Amino acid sequence: MAKVLEGPGMGLLRKWGIQTPNYVVVTSVDEFEQLSKVNDWLQKSKLVVKAHEALGSRFKLGLVKVGLDLAAAKAAVKEMLGRKIESITIKEVIVSEAIDHKEEYYASAKSTRDGVDVMVTTYGGVEVESNWDKVQKLAVEIGEVPTDSALSKLVKDAGFTGDSASKMAEFLKKLFTCFENEDAQYVEINPVVLDTKGNLVALDAVTLLDGDAKFRHKDWTFSFAAEFGRSYTKNEEEVMAVDAKVKGSVKLIEIPGGNIAMLPAGGGASVYYSDAVVARGGKLANYAEYSGDPPDWAVEVLTEKVCSLPGIKHIIVGGAIANFTDVKKTFGGIINAFRKAKAEGKLDGVKIWVRRGGPNELQGLAAMRALQDEGFDIHVFDRKTPLTDIVDMAMAAK
Amino acid sequence: MSILATKDTHVVIQGGVAGVNAARRMAEFRYMIKQPLNVSAFVYPPDAGKTNEIVCGTELVAIPIYRTIAEATAAHPEINTSLVYIGADRAYAGTMEALDDPHIKAVSMITEGVPEKDAKLLGKHARKLGKIFNGPSSIGVVSAGECRLGVIGGAFDNLVACKLYRPGSFGVITKSGGLSNEIIWICSQFADGITTAIGIGGDAYPGTDYVSYLEMFEKDTQTKAVVIVGEMGGDLEERAAEWFGAKKRRIKLLSVVSGFCQESLPKGMKFGHAGAKEGLKGEGSARAKSDALKKSGAIVPDTFGALGPAIKATYEELVKSGQVQPIPDLAEAELPRLPKTIEEAKKDGEVLIAPLIRTTISDDRGDEPLYQGYPASELINAGYDIPHIIGLLWDNRLVSKQEAEIIKRIIMLSADHGPCVSGALTTVIAACAGIGLSQAVAAGMIMIGPRFGGAVTDAGRWFKYAIDNKMTVDDFLAYMKKNVGPVPGIGHRVKSLRNPDKRVKELVGYVKSLNIKTPHLDFALEVEKITATKKDNLILNVDGTMAAVLVDIGFPVDSLNGFFILARTIGMIGHWTDQKRQSSRLIRLFDYLVNYASPKRREVPPLK
Repeated sequence: MAKVLEGPGMGLLRKWGIQTPNYVVVTSVDEFEQLSKVNDWLQKSKLVVKAHEALGSRFKLGLVKVGLDLAAAKAAVKEMLGRKIESITIKEVIVSEAIDHKEEYYASAKSTRDGVDVMVTTYGGVEVESNWDKVQKLAVEIGEVPTDSALSKLVKDAGFTGDSASKMAEFLKKLFTCFENEDAQYVEINPVVLDTKGNLVALDAVTLLDGDAKFRHKDWTFSFAAEFGRSYTKNEEEVMAVDAKVKGSVKLIEIPGGNIAMLPAGGGASVYYSDAVVARGGKLANYAEYSGDPPDWAVEVLTEKVCSLPGIKHIIVGGAIANFTDVKKTFGGIINAFRKAKAEGKLDGVKIWVRRGGPNELQGLAAMRALQDEGFDIHVFDRKTPLTDIVDMAMAAK
Repeated sequence: MSILATKDTHVVIQGGVAGVNAARRMAEFRYMIKQPLNVSAFVYPPDAGKTNEIVCGTELVAIPIYRTIAEATAAHPEINTSLVYIGADRAYAGTMEALDDPHIKAVSMITEGVPEKDAKLLGKHARKLGKIFNGPSSIGVVSAGECRLGVIGGAFDNLVACKLYRPGSFGVITKSGGLSNEIIWICSQFADGITTAIGIGGDAYPGTDYVSYLEMFEKDTQTKAVVIVGEMGGDLEERAAEWFGAKKRRIKLLSVVSGFCQESLPKGMKFGHAGAKEGLKGEGSARAKSDALKKSGAIVPDTFGALGPAIKATYEELVKSGQVQPIPDLAEAELPRLPKTIEEAKKDGEVLIAPLIRTTISDDRGDEPLYQGYPASELINAGYDIPHIIGLLWDNRLVSKQEAEIIKRIIMLSADHGPCVSGALTTVIAACAGIGLSQAVAAGMIMIGPRFGGAVTDAGRWFKYAIDNKMTVDDFLAYMKKNVGPVPGIGHRVKSLRNPDKRVKELVGYVKSLNIKTPHLDFALEVEKITATKKDNLILNVDGTMAAVLVDIGFPVDSLNGFFILARTIGMIGHWTDQKRQSSRLIRLFDYLVNYASPKRREVPPLK
């Protein structure tokens, strides 16, 4: 899943005919000033200013300001841009038009195994959490489109009546069309509001798209945001850039504060290794994974980043018995980076634990074992040692 | 017995390089179980009409490539299974094509990064047709002793180590490719091995889930227990638990689930496979799945590491109750082996090979070429020069400094002789006709022969013959006249006694200035004295001079033309690049340069 920030998310809704407030995304005060000269609504309307970054709890951090006139909005833009929240610097701000409204509703669409669930309730905004049981759901089978009668039954079941019922049915039809055509996995519009002219407007939206479908969406020019309430770090971005270039995959997520560095192979095994560390009371310094027989230099880049994690005591070079990832070749990349990190003093006092099997395992493991002669504190095991035993040994070694 | 991949499975592989690699791995498996390859065809439009060569044991088998599935199944009606190895952007269309073919009952897709919507549509389409769509992102399927689809099981040694040459009693279903192999290994070490192992892929919505395969395993009497390796996210494990707990099942179920670490990670931080995502409301957590499986009666060890002992305990119970008969292990000597390559056999000292060619000059097998055993870089650093390399490669010896100087001068004097001579002219004509460097120079080279530049070897041969036989000049000339004809190396087209060849003078002067014995050169100069009195252009030419000098410094007769060829190559390359630089146009001979001595125009007689 790939999270899309508010600006591009709103853009996709508008593309499919859903009304949203006017908005601009700016990266400087100058840009905002230029835009305010040519956009009437920026001068006339009450404005909302929000940090346009993948940050959780923006309200608490003072990164959402409402009910502003142009001058106040400008001040807010100036104040937010460049602000540092932990490791993240705010580089973009979204300024949108405040919409006068009375009613707030909730609408969403979600990918399921069988198709798409379309959900709606009259309890919008903050009310939806406590009224989750009131949300009405229409399951649409994959490849099908919801019929008008199904939609009108859905909105009636949700408590919409009269004019607003037909408007919401129409709104949901557009939401579904947008969802289907944009390869979305989750779109939640909360609130949907009824403005003073009687139109339904999407005020805020969470949009998750299927990153794998990017090849057929030439207009997805925006970049995806991290899903875990913070932006990607420089190291993570560098590994993603390598991942995008190579056959197979390399992945890295940093977890500040941990001391057990992970460098396992395989999307499946890597999670079992993480589980083993956590189960033994260890603190993960990162998640990493390489698989699909990536080139040795890609694994080398990943290893360099892992060795650079601050305060690490152990590195877990785990892996199951590979089907086609060449152990000798991928270990070659790891060894290169280990040597470099050792020369830079990054591996002082760090214990390395290796367990692996697969094509050319004998040569790969022998090359790792030979690092002992170069002064590495390295412990190498083959397929006869169960998968996660090296974690137990590392945790026992302390 | 087995499921999905059986002894009756016949495969078409959709895709290019990755598909060919899979076919090679599948061929290794078939060789291990002493069966012919079960890949009947490839579908890959760019190479349609060609074949892919697949090594099967000691043979190469040519497997045809088709443009469409329909063409492949028409030509090979035994095909019932397709493996999809095509890119994520075209995988949907390719898989649809396979599913819609009436011959094909199952499609397994290795392709990763397929849009979720596409995978869901393919799953629905397959279910509607009553077919199997396995994947996306599936490592493949392997049934011990019967069939391997894809690269699951890894390298040959691993197949043997995991005893995949004969069936065991355990079924395996995993999302992860690497862990499928791990579990196959564990089953072979802690129990009697597997019946069938299936990778369903780590995507959020695999085409076929655990339950479909559990039902198939339940009907397969050889399979006594099934191991499921689950992951957080989705509801496949819960559905498996529901199926297992719904009624008394014949098979035993063992399972582990990964993702417990999520409980103590920062909120929202997810990793692993695409499908390894908890629901937005926390459903699909590792704990929920693990609990559901435990409740259903499945054996659920707390950690992955405890899975091996759990499998062992299950196996021992099966043996104790008589449901499983232990299979004796094969003796080391009986284990299947891949035929060795010639390189491996040679390394192990098992074969004697009669070499095809023999060389005495150089060796390229190390990190740099050795000329007569001397590393090229060390020769350079020791101050040796091109003539020394010529000596090493043409006459297997390191020539002296003095000899090297002679060789260098010979090459410098013969490097070019203007555009009019046969060789250069031919190269120029070729260059003007747009012919490439190597061909144009080769065209010039073809001119080197008895009349142009190619007399060096012959001149050397006959001067040497005279000296070896201690002939006088008179005897020699008489012998040549009677048995050979004009003396090679004597005579020039334009030069004469009065208009001597400066190159000859230079070379003779230099060689004579050195304090070395030059019997052949001396003899050649004596011959010239006689021949030049008969006709003043019968002088010792540059070919003859070179020949005599080179024989004097010990070069074998057969190498002598090489000095002219080597030297003149420098000139010919010069002429070619010169014409190229000028973008010269096509040239032809002017008709006034031709004496047209053919019959004048006349009437064509009627055809008889």
